[in-house]
Amino acid sequence: MADLEFEDRIDRMFAQAPTFGDADLFALRLDERLNRGWTARRMLIGGLGLAGGLVGGAQVIGSGVISRFDEISAQSGRLLTQRLSEVAPFDLLPVGFAVDGQILWMSAALAAVAIGFAVARAVREI
Amino acid sequence: MPDGGMPMGETTASRAAAHDLDLVALAAGGGREAFGELVRRHGSAVRSLVRRMGAQPALADDIAQDAFLAAFERIAEFRGEGTFQAWVKRIAARLYAKRWRREAIARRAAEALEADDDPRVTQSGVAARIDLDQALASLGALERLCVSLCYGAGLSHSDAAEALGLPLGTVKSHVKRGLDKLKARLAPAQTVRDAEEANG
Repeated sequence: MADLEFEDRIDRMFAQAPTFGDADLFALRLDERLNRGWTARRMLIGGLGLAGGLVGGAQVIGSGVISRFDEISAQSGRLLTQRLSEVAPFDLLPVGFAVDGQILWMSAALAAVAIGFAVARAVREI
Repeated sequence: MPDGGMPMGETTASRAAAHDLDLVALAAGGGREAFGELVRRHGSAVRSLVRRMGAQPALADDIAQDAFLAAFERIAEFRGEGTFQAWVKRIAARLYAKRWRREAIARRAAEALEADDDPRVTQSGVAARIDLDQALASLGALERLCVSLCYGAGLSHSDAAEALGLPLGTVKSHVKRGLDKLKARLAPAQTVRDAEEANG
């Protein structure tokens, strides 16, 4: 028998793979290992995210950014109220209407949430 | 089981009928069920190869599992050149070769050669497989490993040499000696079978 012919035969014999009776169990075990890997990864990412958030939060509070934020909010609110009173007729605005800094940022946050929902919905539809 | 890459309406039956490349594409998108189907299809072949390389069944299963995990991690690298099964086999063969190098298991593998029979084999072609398995059992551990790497996993001689950390000439001579022994053991049985088939 020629060597090449024999090598082809060995190739074919190696290719004749058996199917083990526990093939499904093997696949299940592998899936469990994949799950364990993902769980560990999620916990690691979550833990690192939490630690990073706490450190970042502490830095933000320590830097006095909140007082500056309040100041900017108040200035923005005053400016917006002033502009609105210039362009809108007095009888259209509610009595005592004034754009508070908190209202301004809350509106912005709600708008951001609404945009987030819209984007998530669009992605799901696509 | 979560399956991020599986389109809506995809069922177990349609996965079972899907081509490997389609399942690979789904798995690359995070489709765990699609990857599970690939494991069910090719798991036995990969496990069988590692056993033929000389690993005990339990170790062979562990290596095969590691190979599939590595394949899932690197599935975006699979370009469809060759079959998915051949790709995972090469990963498994390299993993076993790496382990062999690290732990110098050649001696233990040689001692374990007699315990390789698996009574759970269920499909046809059993006679040919037993022939090959028995013939492989007659080889030295390194001969068996080199022959399995080159013919079972499709590695070139130089790739096998690199995987085992052996000189190329050593691998070539192990393959040559292994093939000669296999030829001596397999040829007579095949001749008898051919004669039986010729006689009806």
